[in-house]
Parts: sequence; C-alpha cells; structure tokens
Amino acid sequence: MAAPRYGSPLKRAVTFYIPLVLMVGLTLFPFYWMVITSIRPDVELYNVKANPFFTLYPTLQHFHDLFELTMFARWAWNTLFIAVVSTAISLFCGLLAGYALARLQFRWASPLGTMIFITYLVPPTLLFIPLGDVVKTFGIGDTPWAVILTYPTFLIPFCTWLLMGYFKTIPREIEECARIDGASRIQAMIRISFPLAVPGILSAGIFAFTLSWNEFLYALVFLSSPQQKTIPIGVFTELVRGDVFYWGPLMAGALLGSIPVALVYSFFVEHYVTALTGAVKG
Amino acid sequence: MADQRIEPILAERASAAASVVPASVAVAVPEARRPTRLGQLLEREHILAGALLAPTLVILTLFIAYPFVLGIWLAVSDKVVGRPGNFVGLQNFWVNVNDTIFLRAFQNTFVYTFIATALKLALGMGAALLLNHHFRFKRIVRAGMLLPWIVPTVLSTLAWQWMFDATFSVFNWTLMNVGLISKRILWLGDGTMAMGCLILVNVWRGMPFFAITLLAGLQTVNPDLHEAAEIDGANAWQRFWRVTLPLIKPIMMVVVLFSMIATFADFQLIYVLTRGGPYSSTHVFGTYAYEIAMRAAQLGQGASISLSLFPFLLAVIVFQLWYIRRSD
Amino acid sequence: MAKSGGVTRLDRRAFLRVTGAATGVAVASGIPAIVAAQKAPSFPKGTRLHILEWVSFVPASDKEFKRLAGEFGKLAGVDVTVEFINMNDLNPKIASAIETKAGPDIIMMLQNWPHLYADGLADVDDVAEEIGKRDGGFYDIVRNVSVVGKTWKSVPLAMGTPAWAYREDWFKEVGAAKFPDTWDELRTVGAKLKKKDHPLGQAFGHSLGDPNQWAYPVTWSFGGMEVDKNGKVVINSKETVEALKFTVAFWKDCLDEGGLAWDDTSNNRAYLAGTISATINGASIYFVAKRQFPDIAKVTNHGHMPRGPAGRFYSIQGQGHGIMKYSKNQQVAREFLRWFMDRPQYDPWFAANDGYVNGPTTYWEKHALWEQDLKLVPFKEAPRYGRWPGYPGPPSRKTSEALVKYILVDMYAQAIKGMKPEDAARWAEAELKKIYGA
Repeated sequence: MAAPRYGSPLKRAVTFYIPLVLMVGLTLFPFYWMVITSIRPDVELYNVKANPFFTLYPTLQHFHDLFELTMFARWAWNTLFIAVVSTAISLFCGLLAGYALARLQFRWASPLGTMIFITYLVPPTLLFIPLGDVVKTFGIGDTPWAVILTYPTFLIPFCTWLLMGYFKTIPREIEECARIDGASRIQAMIRISFPLAVPGILSAGIFAFTLSWNEFLYALVFLSSPQQKTIPIGVFTELVRGDVFYWGPLMAGALLGSIPVALVYSFFVEHYVTALTGAVKG
Repeated sequence: MADQRIEPILAERASAAASVVPASVAVAVPEARRPTRLGQLLEREHILAGALLAPTLVILTLFIAYPFVLGIWLAVSDKVVGRPGNFVGLQNFWVNVNDTIFLRAFQNTFVYTFIATALKLALGMGAALLLNHHFRFKRIVRAGMLLPWIVPTVLSTLAWQWMFDATFSVFNWTLMNVGLISKRILWLGDGTMAMGCLILVNVWRGMPFFAITLLAGLQTVNPDLHEAAEIDGANAWQRFWRVTLPLIKPIMMVVVLFSMIATFADFQLIYVLTRGGPYSSTHVFGTYAYEIAMRAAQLGQGASISLSLFPFLLAVIVFQLWYIRRSD
Repeated sequence: MAKSGGVTRLDRRAFLRVTGAATGVAVASGIPAIVAAQKAPSFPKGTRLHILEWVSFVPASDKEFKRLAGEFGKLAGVDVTVEFINMNDLNPKIASAIETKAGPDIIMMLQNWPHLYADGLADVDDVAEEIGKRDGGFYDIVRNVSVVGKTWKSVPLAMGTPAWAYREDWFKEVGAAKFPDTWDELRTVGAKLKKKDHPLGQAFGHSLGDPNQWAYPVTWSFGGMEVDKNGKVVINSKETVEALKFTVAFWKDCLDEGGLAWDDTSNNRAYLAGTISATINGASIYFVAKRQFPDIAKVTNHGHMPRGPAGRFYSIQGQGHGIMKYSKNQQVAREFLRWFMDRPQYDPWFAANDGYVNGPTTYWEKHALWEQDLKLVPFKEAPRYGRWPGYPGPPSRKTSEALVKYILVDMYAQAIKGMKPEDAARWAEAELKKIYGA
C-alpha cells in the first residue's frame, strides 16, 4: 500500500491525527453552521446574545417551509437529471479527446488541444448572451436541454485536459506490450489505457457533476418556469426576498442539496481508490 | 492489470465509443469489408485521432464557436442592450485602462487568483497526503471533506455572509467570549479585510477538489518506488519531493491550471458576498464586467472587461501546453 | 375591503374589456363585435402570457399577483405563467431576453430601467395615459422613470418608498418625543443614542437599495447634485462637500460601524436584533416585526427623511411593467396590464402590500389602508418629496450607469474611510464625467 508507516504513536499523533482533526474541523465548521441555522427557530436567529453554536429548541419548521413554499423536490430532480446527463456527455467526449491528444501522433494535436482549451477561457458572464441565441435557435429554451447541452461547453475542456494528464501518467510501454501481443490500436486503448484511467475518469466525472450541480448563470438565464429550475436557482431566487432572507429554508435547501451527493461521491472515491491500487500493483 | 470489477463497465463504454466511430467514416467504406478496412483505417493514428476528437469538436463548434466570435465582436463594439452595435476598435479597452475601478479590479483579480490558488494547492496537497493514510472513519472523512465543494456556491456563500455579518458574526461572538477581542471585527467592512475573507471562502470551497484529485494522483504512485527510496535512505520529505511530486506533476498542473482559470473568472462568490463593495475595493473582472454589462446594460464595454483577461490566460495555457507536451 | 362584491362586478367589466380587445380579431374575421362579446373569452386558443416579476419584499403581494394573473387567464382564456425572480437577478434575464428576442411578454421594470431597456420595450402610451387620466395623474417620479423621450415605455405599477424606521422607546429615553425634523437635530439625537449603545444604522456597501437611500437624498438635501438640468456634471460643489462632511461626522457620532459592509438585508437584521435604534428602509422591517417580533413592532414608528439646508428629499424606486417589443402577445399583455391596473384588481393587490408601496397615481393616497395603521403615514407622504436618480437632470441611460457603478455611494464610503471630502467629491466628478462625457 502507498500509505507510509510511522514510528511511535506520539509521532503519529503529531504528524497525522492533529493535522487531520484540524483540517476536518475547519472544513466542516461552516457546514455545521448551516445545520444549526436550518434547525434554529427564527426568533433565535435574530438574537445577538444567544449562543450561536447550538440551540435548545431545534425545529424542523424550515425544512417543512422549504417543501411548502417552493418546489424543492422537483428542483432536486431537475438538478440531478441535468447534472447526470451533461456529465455523461462531457466524460464521453473528454475521454476520447483526452486520449487522442495525449497518446496519438498527429499534426494538429497541439493546436487542437489549445483550441479546445481556449473555449474554456471566455468567461460565462460574457458568453451567456450569445449562447442564449444558440439556445433559441435550437428551440430548447426553458427545457432541461438548454443547460444539458450548454454545460458541456465548459465541462468538456476540463475533462479532456484532466484525462490527458492521467493518460500521461500511464506508461506507454504497457500499451505497447499489448500491441505486440496482437491487440489492435483501438483494443489497446479500450482494454489497457481506459481501465488505467479510471481514477481520472472518476475525478473528472465528480468535477463535471459538481459544476453542473452548482451552475448558476446559465440556469438562471435559460430556465424560467418554476418547475424547470435547479436547486441553486430555485432556492436563491425565491427565498431571498429583497431585504429579507429566509435563512432557515435557505440553509435547509443547501443541506438537502449537498448531503446525498456527498454520500454518492464517497462511494465513488472509495471505489476508485481501491480500483487504482489494484491496477498499479497488478 | 486493471481491477476486474471495472473491466465490464469500461468495455461497455468503449463499445459505445466504438459505435460512434464507424458513423463518421462509413461513407467511404464498402459494406462487406468494413470491419477490416475500418480496422486498418483506425490503425492510422491521425484517422483514429480525428474519430476520437469528432464528438468534442462537434459540440464545441455548435455551441461555442458563434458565442465566442460574437463575444470578441462585442468587446470592440459599442453595443448596448437592445441596440445594434458599431465597431469602435479598441476604444473600450482605452476606457478601461483609464478607469480606476477597472484597475483596482485588475489588481484584485490577480491577488485573489494567485493567493487562493497557492493556498488551495498547498492545503489540498496536505489534505491528500493525510487522506492517503489508513485510519478509522476514513470513508466518512473523505466524504465530509467534499461537502464544501458540493453545496451550491450561492448558498454556502450566504452562510459565510451570515458568519461574517457585522452584527451576528459567529467569529466575533467566539473571539469576544474567549476574550481575545473587545471590539467586533468588521470582516467585510474594509477592502483588504474583505479581500481576505473572499480568498478564505474560495479556498474553503475549492480545496476539497484539489485534495481528491491529488489523492487520485497519489494512488497511481507505485509504492515500490517509495520503498526503494527509503532503502536508499531518503526521509519522508525527500521521498515526497523526489518521488511523489514528479510522478503526480502532470495531474497537478492540470488541476492548478483549471483552478486558476476558474478563480480568474470567479463571479458567484464575490457577487454574493460583497458585490465588489465596500467602495469598489473587491471587484474582480467577473463582477465588474457583470455590473457594466448587465446593470448598466453596456454589453460592449462589459465584454471588453471580460476579455482583458484573455491574453493572460492564453499565456498561461500556451506555457502549460508546451510543458505537458515536453514531458513526452 | 369590499373584496368579494367588488370582484364579481369587476369580473363582468373585465370580461367586457377583454372581449372588447378581441374585437379587432373578430372584426377582421367578419364577426360582429357584439356576437363576439357574448362568446367566451376570445384570444385564440393556446395563447400564452408569460410575466416575469420580482420576488416582492412582501410575500402576500406575490400571492395576490399570482391569484389575479390566474383570474385574468380564466377570463381571457389565456394560459398565464408568472415567474418570480429576486430583484438582483432580473437584469441578466432582461438583457438576455431582449438580445435573443425570446422570453417573457411582460417584465417588471424597477428604478429607471425603462430608460436602460427602452429599445427593447414596446410603447404603452395608450394603457398608461388611460390609467393616468382615470386616477388623477401620475406622480412626477413615476412619469420621469417611465417616459423615454415622449413615449411611455413602462406601465407604472407602484413606488417603493423608504422612511426612517426608529425605536420610539429609545428615542424618548434621550429626549426625542418624535423623529427629528432636520439632519442636525437627528445628529444630536443620534449621538446620544450611540453613547447609549443604540447607534443608528445605514448601509454603505454595494447593493441596489439601501446605500443609495442615503447617498442620493442626503446629497440633494444639502443642495448637491450629480448633474444640472442639462446633464452637465456639477457634483464637485460646495454643497456636496458639506453633505460629505456631514456624513462623515454622522458616521462617527451616530452610526453603527458595520455599515460599510452592509447590504440591503443587514439593517433589517440589526434592527430586529435590537442593535440599532433607527435605519432607512421600506416598511419590510416593520412587517417582519409585526409577524415575528411583536414587542419590537410595538415600539417601532416611522419618521420622514430629515430636512437639510436645501429641503427634504427622498429617492424613490419606481416599479412598472414593460411589454417586450419582441413579444407576439403584445395585445394580450396590454389587456392584462389595463385590467390589472384597473381599480377593482389593483385594490386587493395594493392592500396586500399593506403600505409597502405607494400607488403610481394620487388616487391611492386616499386608500383606507393608510388610515388603518398611522405608523405608515410617512410612507404615504414620501412621494411628495421624491426624486429620481440623476435629478434634476433628465433620467437616462447615463443616470443608470452612475447608479449601478455606485458612484455616489462610493463617494460617501471613501470619505468615511478617511478620504478628504474635497477629494471624494473630485473623485466622483471624474467618474461622472466619464459617464456623462462632460
């Protein structure tokens, strides 16, 4: 295993457990804050004197409000659908393109790689208006496809480049051995290189999924009907009422919009960590 | 060799991939001999490359080519919402360089990007090394680490806003009760302090992705190499520096690069937390371009602000591309 | 309100009007208008009306709007969708809709947006003039933000007015029986309050609402202005410097130091938490207090913006509805707005706002709701002193640009942060000249 070994328990505490606890604590504190806010009664939220770290009167009212006041369940479904499909599209394209750019010798490799990358450079704050024209031309405004097909514009470049990086870390010789054994170019790619790139595929997938899950501007502009909205748009645009924030439901929405995803990710992360260890050892 | 469990999944995906390929080449190939001819064709690297790149190029051309060109056109036009624009050459850029807010945003963008990226890399690497150990609750910790990155940015930033609030800041409450401060700290009340807070939130949000991606990279490092180095007498630091780092460098470079670009163009976080205030001291390109293009409806001027980043990003990318290619 | 009786009567009227509108279609197809009028609502089947509204600060207002829109849909046989978006996110939706020529048929217009988006908006002279004539004429502010050139580009809906919300109990403790009438008096009272740890609160950050509610009226009340009547930049004046000096002193003596970091929501929270004793805001603070913090509501009252050497001023937010030029349903949109702005429909909506908004015409000053809660009187009276951003210059795109760049707000914020008032005024002058071009 890659895990280093340690000497004394004391040394392990200093070099490992203390940093770990610090890191986890700092990372999760804001999260803890969201949890507390989401179960705290409104009256307490506005009390400066109250201890902000816990509440004696927890309530599920805000969760209830979230579902009552908004179409949260529907938004969650939309977000999931959009994120899954656009991630699948981007991974598929990115995997093939990343392999081609990293492994194959052809004249246009360098300029094409740069071009794919450049599309990632133009900020969405500039792109969304002309992109709106494209969306209109295809007649997909206010449908999930408006964002499913536009998200890949920034997901594909990332997936391509990340996977390019992974393909570089896989020794060329492994593939060459297979070819000597009689595998065709494509077979070598599919049977040898792709499986070795699984960690890269998963981390690109996680990245793409999260970006789709979070995306704000395109979803704001291309989706209109309340039943088409995604979680970030729906929660943010309907629960921020001018100068009054609905803190409880806002934070409840943030929690419900992230915990299930974290659980799924943890499964993937474990999976690719073991998969990979096996691959390198084997 | 690859893990048995993944093999079938990949084979399936690959067959899907393969099925795309014939479609793009089929025209020229006679029906009966297709498999062999196709096989032969795909043995040629440039043809295979074309086939593999096709889906990407199709999507990008369909969706981004026109907006991209139009975006550049906007930057050299006086376009405002609802009216056709006229070509004005570089006038928008001239206006920008004489605009104090723009110059401030320019400086902020670089400060924000470089400090945040450096911190994310350092902390993310640290986190990845820690998570690469075996310990109890490993799974749950790894899942928990990802949370900041999954919560929709606009919403987690609202939570931070509440934590930095002038009246309700939980940090102030804590520091006061511990007795470290007697007067509240106005986290977002001063340009420098507010910039620090923005960087903090950005790092908090972006670090997990660094950690997880680098963790994946660490996993590709063959432990035998470490053992060999250890036998040669290298200490942990040397092993990291000489063995691990060079091996995960390609991945690291890509992650850093993408993170930098995303941070350069960051918008949501600043938009929610400070909107560029107080007194325009925390504007970055993204937010300032948005104010001008959206709020003042001057699409041309806004586009020119967005595009001012372009040369810098391009330089970074050309360097990156050259670097990655060089390692061949 | 005599809602139920009113509504039924109304329905018939509305019905007639809607069918009247359809006569155009009917005549064209050769059917006499009268026959058409007797038939069920007569827009072609499948006609849709898409309305984009802000998320109102008063939830009941959205509910009522949605209800009325639904009612119109039934009467006119039109499929009505109402989309609500929080006010800060309306701009990108509007820009994108106009540029791609697709999207909602009616969009809410805030502040002086009709000037900003004039090229994408249909003329609505007919509807607006009709309302104005019927209801005693529009306020000047409303006219100024909605009329571009000589054409109405938005059908005025209401005005969002601010006033000082203040704690009567704390003000009494320092000897102020009512809200001070001049800035100097307020400063004296405020200083006493701050000493007692009850500062006043005012935002100087970047958000559309509150920071501007200080920057514009205070400048005006000291006699300063961004531009003169002809649009010439005159911000760098003795008067502006006085306003700046006053603000800096007021900041030190009276205000909560958090203000530089505040946005529109901060003063609401601070007031409800009892950390500030007064702040400029719409009635939303009071409404939330009535619902959730009755003890605070009881001791809350509202006061006018104080007078300065040049008088009393308010910066008032116009609200209206623009019909999009690209819309294929302009006729339906017009009928909807005409119907909605008619008294029987507007009345329940106005009542649902409970004093948060003023009607666009003087007629609504006489509404019964103003009698119900006397604490809201300053809101009713505010429009008399109301001006538009850029006053006394004509509203224009340039005005909007100055507003969205927060030039006045930042002028004050920088002075508060230590810049010399003279330098702050000079800075603002330079920035405004870039916008106005002279």
